[in-house]
Amino acid sequence: MRPDTHPGSLMARIGNSALLVYAVLVLAFLMLPLAIIVPMSFSDQPYLTFPPSGWTWHWYEEVRNQPRWLTAAWNSVRIGVPVALLSVVFGTLAALAVTRSGSGWSKPFSLLVLAPMMLPHVIIAIGLYPTIVSLGLAGSYLAIVIGHTVVGIPFVFVTVSAALKNYPPTLDMAARTLGANGWKTFLRVTLPMTWPGIASGGLLAFATSFDELMLALFLTGIRTETLPRIIWDQLSFALTPTIAAAATLILLLTTLLLGIASLLGARRSRKGE
Amino acid sequence: MTPSSRYWSAGRTFAWLAVPPLVFLAAFLVIPLARVIVGSFTGSGLTLAHYEKVFSAPVYTHVFVYTLQVAFTVTALCLVIAYPLAFVIANIRGTAQKLMTILVLVPLWSSVVIRSYAWMILFQRRGILNEALLSLGWIDEPLQILQTSVAVQVAMVHILLPFMVLPLVTTMMGIDHTLIRAGRVLGAGPVRLFLRIYLRLSLPGVTAGCALVFITALGFYITPALLGGTQNTMTAVVIEEAVSVFFDWPLASALSTVLLVITMGIYLLYARFTRGDLGMVGK
Repeated sequence: MRPDTHPGSLMARIGNSALLVYAVLVLAFLMLPLAIIVPMSFSDQPYLTFPPSGWTWHWYEEVRNQPRWLTAAWNSVRIGVPVALLSVVFGTLAALAVTRSGSGWSKPFSLLVLAPMMLPHVIIAIGLYPTIVSLGLAGSYLAIVIGHTVVGIPFVFVTVSAALKNYPPTLDMAARTLGANGWKTFLRVTLPMTWPGIASGGLLAFATSFDELMLALFLTGIRTETLPRIIWDQLSFALTPTIAAAATLILLLTTLLLGIASLLGARRSRKGE
Repeated sequence: MTPSSRYWSAGRTFAWLAVPPLVFLAAFLVIPLARVIVGSFTGSGLTLAHYEKVFSAPVYTHVFVYTLQVAFTVTALCLVIAYPLAFVIANIRGTAQKLMTILVLVPLWSSVVIRSYAWMILFQRRGILNEALLSLGWIDEPLQILQTSVAVQVAMVHILLPFMVLPLVTTMMGIDHTLIRAGRVLGAGPVRLFLRIYLRLSLPGVTAGCALVFITALGFYITPALLGGTQNTMTAVVIEEAVSVFFDWPLASALSTVLLVITMGIYLLYARFTRGDLGMVGK
């Protein structure tokens, strides 16, 4: 490895081709599970054999015909959307407070906001469960929305903080000098400048809620069970391709959503340049 | 703090914006965590009995040692595997760089439950790996891979690898290559150039990636629960079991408090020397 030349010509050197081959192998390792699940969902065998001996849509029909999957999918959406909105509100407020008025309290405050990202969800879950019970919300729709918002806020905080740092606060000050009040400055200057960060944070919060299992195990009931929870239940008694079919559909949806999020992110960084 | 905000009178107004998220997090994060900690010290009155249970039973001490071991191994493997990949991504240009970055991100977007399920399919007794090894004639009968530490660690490395690659790439892309050229002009060989200049300049990415992977690995539940055996359970699995199987909330609280102290200790140690955002806020 000779990291001593202009980056552009670096990969062209002999010897670096070994590095390139290595990189491709690691990326293949990262793709491996997807390469297994997607073909598996079309397998004509009821048990899991690979490669499948024939192809069928049967497992997708199975998913469509079981109301439990559809209910869970709908639950995941109706939990994820308010979680994303609440996370956006709390996360954006926190990011504005820290980046625009940084002082002694901002570091401990940031640590608090980021903490749910670091903490094992099982600890949050066993603390939150009795809290939710004492509020009389056990198994309710609100319970899981609250739980997922706690873990969704840091994502918005991170993306909005990055967006706020990408443009100079002098722009806000200019608006203030020109006579706009604080609220108008926020709506007409700060918000348009940071909305890609806000939107991608909101999508990340949605995706987190969509994928979260531990809090769902503790805080959802029969009426609010989410997709990860039903997959988890199914995994513990049978490994059928139905799970693979559902998993493929979920993958498709999250990839789509997060593709949009990263496009927004790319737009943001282009603006920043 | 930006220098301009100091004389900007609106600074104080902005501080008030912290109140709603603060109230929400106090109610649904701080109080619940306080409940866990208080619950771990209370039985009939104040007691250390639950901690005695945790630290005297070899089962639980073994679980903590095992969890730390797994987190350490997984972090080390992730670093070794990710570093050269991050180097390639940071130094390649154009479409290849974009494509490689997307390939690192895609698995990050897919559910941990689903990815652990894929590893189950791969590692089963009559799974893909065993069938392949059998047909190659390398083994005579299927290996027991599921319910071993190997299965758990391979799947965890897979799930956590992007968390190591991304901070490394960010740091490496910011490295000033004229410094390396200067070292070369001054007569340093490639090994020395790498160890004395490149590696040192990439250290912030290394620490961010390692902290992120280690801390996340400590709290892993899904992967060890699905792929691990009863012999090798990690802390989060034992905590969940203490509640859902044994209904022993005080024990679960004590185990959680120990895990909380370890996690926060590592995080605060890391935050003490950096901005504390684990490289996620960008520059």
